[in-house]
Amino acid sequence: MPECTNPLWPCAMTGAAAALSGFDGITVIIHGSSGCYYYPATLLHAPLQGTFIMEEEVIFGSEERLLQVIKEVSAPGTRVAVVTTCVPSIIGEDIRSMLASSDVLLVDSPGFSGDFEPGYLKGLLSLEPRVDDQNPGINIDGVSLLDPFFRGNVRELTRLLNNAGVPVATVFCADAVEKVSHAAPFTVTTNSDLASGVGRTLGGTLGLQDLRATFAAIGDRIGEADIGPVLREIAVKEEHIIQVCDKYLRRFDPPRAMIFGWASYAAFTAAALMSYLDADIAFIGTRTPILPDLPCPVERVDSFSRVRDLIIEYRPDLVIGSSFERSVNPDLAFVGLTPPLRGRVRLASMPVAGVEGMLHLIEGVLNACMDRNRK
Amino acid sequence: MSSNPLPSNTSRFEGCTLTGALSITTSVTGSVSIVHGPSGCAHHNFSLLHATALEHDGVDAPSIISSCLSENEIIFGGEAALERALARAASLNPACIFVLSTCIAETIGDDAGAVCRVDWGVPVIPVQTGGFLGGVFDKGVNNALCTIADTAAPSTRQGTVNIIGEKNLEYEVEENHAELSRLLSALGLSVNIRFVHHVSPDEIAVLGRASLNVLRDEGQNPVGDHLRARFGTAYLPSFPSGLFCTLQFLKNVAAVCGVPSHPAVTMEQAVQEEVLAEFSDLAHTRIALNGAGLAGSSCGIAREVAGALTMKVSPRGCRVPLPVSPPVGTAGIRRMLHRWRRMINA
Repeated sequence: MPECTNPLWPCAMTGAAAALSGFDGITVIIHGSSGCYYYPATLLHAPLQGTFIMEEEVIFGSEERLLQVIKEVSAPGTRVAVVTTCVPSIIGEDIRSMLASSDVLLVDSPGFSGDFEPGYLKGLLSLEPRVDDQNPGINIDGVSLLDPFFRGNVRELTRLLNNAGVPVATVFCADAVEKVSHAAPFTVTTNSDLASGVGRTLGGTLGLQDLRATFAAIGDRIGEADIGPVLREIAVKEEHIIQVCDKYLRRFDPPRAMIFGWASYAAFTAAALMSYLDADIAFIGTRTPILPDLPCPVERVDSFSRVRDLIIEYRPDLVIGSSFERSVNPDLAFVGLTPPLRGRVRLASMPVAGVEGMLHLIEGVLNACMDRNRK
Repeated sequence: MSSNPLPSNTSRFEGCTLTGALSITTSVTGSVSIVHGPSGCAHHNFSLLHATALEHDGVDAPSIISSCLSENEIIFGGEAALERALARAASLNPACIFVLSTCIAETIGDDAGAVCRVDWGVPVIPVQTGGFLGGVFDKGVNNALCTIADTAAPSTRQGTVNIIGEKNLEYEVEENHAELSRLLSALGLSVNIRFVHHVSPDEIAVLGRASLNVLRDEGQNPVGDHLRARFGTAYLPSFPSGLFCTLQFLKNVAAVCGVPSHPAVTMEQAVQEEVLAEFSDLAHTRIALNGAGLAGSSCGIAREVAGALTMKVSPRGCRVPLPVSPPVGTAGIRRMLHRWRRMINA
């Protein structure tokens, strides 16, 4: 792997921890040092446990320490999951055999093995999700504690599905762990970069166009579903969006935007800005290897130095991304879309997905651009 | 293997040597820090330092290059990856390059020192780290401070004061520095350098000019000893904290620097009386010291301040917050009292 200046994306260990700790009924132990523990613990805001191994365990073996911590955190009604970090993965201990006689789940997802997404998927699949054909609901996937919008996404999709008379089945990954083995046959996704692969996907929920298509598919597949209220809400809210964007364009030029984040979030945002604001999408930088097919330059951007160079080169007036992108030029209009979003107080559960997600995005973009135009 | 169970073996929870060292090296302006390990280690720390910079109203991102060790390097060795990272860092023409190892690089046995000894055209300074294999967070801080101090030559003392080992990740780092500077200026003394808080290698070169080093806390005594051995500079082991100790601090600094203390002490006593008068409405209030088990030294200061205000400390009182680190100087006590009053009146 080539060297990298100020890498911007969390490692596979954090991904596995994010997937597993999203489930009630799982106690996650980070098997590694305190340094490896504190980052996911502070980033995910989840009650993680750690073995906090030290030099003596590296030299003489960590089995006793790991078993000690497992014993301490074990409780009735919860299952323990151990996520390994870099050093325990390479010192040659056979942790799997060590835990073979117990119900403890082992996820070998060290940081050096890759980025957040493969680790997340590995953590999710370690729970061996199963589809229950009798489950009448729909699963929601693409949900991760890393995502500042995950709670808002789950609430918004739950609201929309309930409005269509469809119960929510399993939320991957923010639900009770028992529901993992009784997932519904159909799934809608909030973020295809974190797609679970569980159940048949009926489509995405980012943007009103995808939302319409997905609910049409729900109407086709689920006999009891009444998608009329949702389609009517989409139509009404879209009209509101068109009105406010039209009003904006009466006074101001469309923004020249650069977008950084998960490929699915970035693609949805670009499409929305082009559709409603006739925006010039100068550049899309994805954190993940999948590159969306869009009529603008698209590149995987995972280092801060590259972000800085690109923002200087493309001279946008609107930047959409994380607090890393925001810090390059705080004078530009900025909308937060991508973790981490530091330096701002955020208490409410705002969505990116669904109708409210689209409203939240457009509201954020217009307010940021108007604030900048008035400076 | 460990003889101590989870709750009592506190050394397990004291963080990563690498993070401690990076909190210092990234504060040397114009430098680049290389993290020799997987990119996740560099990302974790970059994210933390970036978030801290935003909390401090700064926008400058630290400059960290990762050698990005992956499975291939872990099997075949990572020295070539470190060489690539050094070449990239050198191409940026920095003032100097710090090389910090991680536990993974230590475990696979890379000889980072040998790679650093090559002539890269700019000073390359290896800092002893190694993640948890190198110790804990404070050990990383102290190692970095001692290593960087060794780049400065002894020089003639000029009656100034160095501030040593500020906690660069601390939320109140600038406010604490402002309070210390205020107290020093009351004695007619000025700060030589903040070692190391946003200083350049040129500024570090005059480290030996100060007559006194004031350490942030007693955990940095090894750094104080190191600086005394190298430059002959006396040190005080911590920032002032508490009513009595702030006055005593002024006397101690004055004694070392050979200046009169009486005017400054009298003036500070008046400032303390003003602060206590401002919070006289809290007299006889019953308080419980929240989190006392986690902030033992802050607890002592809180009891002193509560006594001065004739407040009652009782487990059944209103739980008031304590600073993570003891409040610095009289200004720190004032901020703590505002937080108490907000909690009492809530």
